[in-house]
Amino acid sequence: MNATTVTTTLDTSGKCCPMPIVETNKAMKGLAIGDILEIVATDVGTRKDIPSWCGRTGQTLLSMTEEKGVLHYHVRKDR
Amino acid sequence: MKSMAIVIREDAYDKILTPLVFAYLASAEGTQVDILFVNWAVKALTVEGAASLCMDGRHATDEAMVRENVAKAGLPNDVYHILKALKATGCVNFYACSLAGAIFGVNEGNLIPEAEGIVGASWFLNGKAAQADHCQYF
Repeated sequence: MNATTVTTTLDTSGKCCPMPIVETNKAMKGLAIGDILEIVATDVGTRKDIPSWCGRTGQTLLSMTEEKGVLHYHVRKDR
Repeated sequence: MKSMAIVIREDAYDKILTPLVFAYLASAEGTQVDILFVNWAVKALTVEGAASLCMDGRHATDEAMVRENVAKAGLPNDVYHILKALKATGCVNFYACSLAGAIFGVNEGNLIPEAEGIVGASWFLNGKAAQADHCQYF
């Protein structure tokens, strides 16, 4: 698997804090170390929340992109 | 942050949402959250009390709109279902203040099963709030 191969996609579009973080946490629990979770979000609060959540929980944020109000995050499960 | 303690006294539907959301967020990082319900908020730890929570004062007429938007955000829009979701994380404990229970009519007979029990405030303040990494009052 290369660094950008997505294992699972979690679409939180339309949902707001706390659900993108809550659902990201749940989704991550179902993954194996090294798997990559793609998170789709429309809550602008995730711009800060998801990178900081990754930092505190030991996951790696590989990328964050935004296009037309839709945010895409790629997070690798590291622990 | 490994642990957080919250004391909730406000029982208006809109005002109780924030501490519950903060607890939900903390649980998503594995933080242990202990919540003491005091004053009128202790009623939220009963099925009937949770169902009867409403918005007060000048915001009361906006309650339907608020509940609709809470549901759109992805949360259950009734408090008991939020409490159940928090309990299901395995990181959040609910406690009823014994004085509040005596005053506002909450006892072991009507306490929701998701609650840990009815406790003295001294136990919570010394054993939970003072030991927690962070404490909040609502």
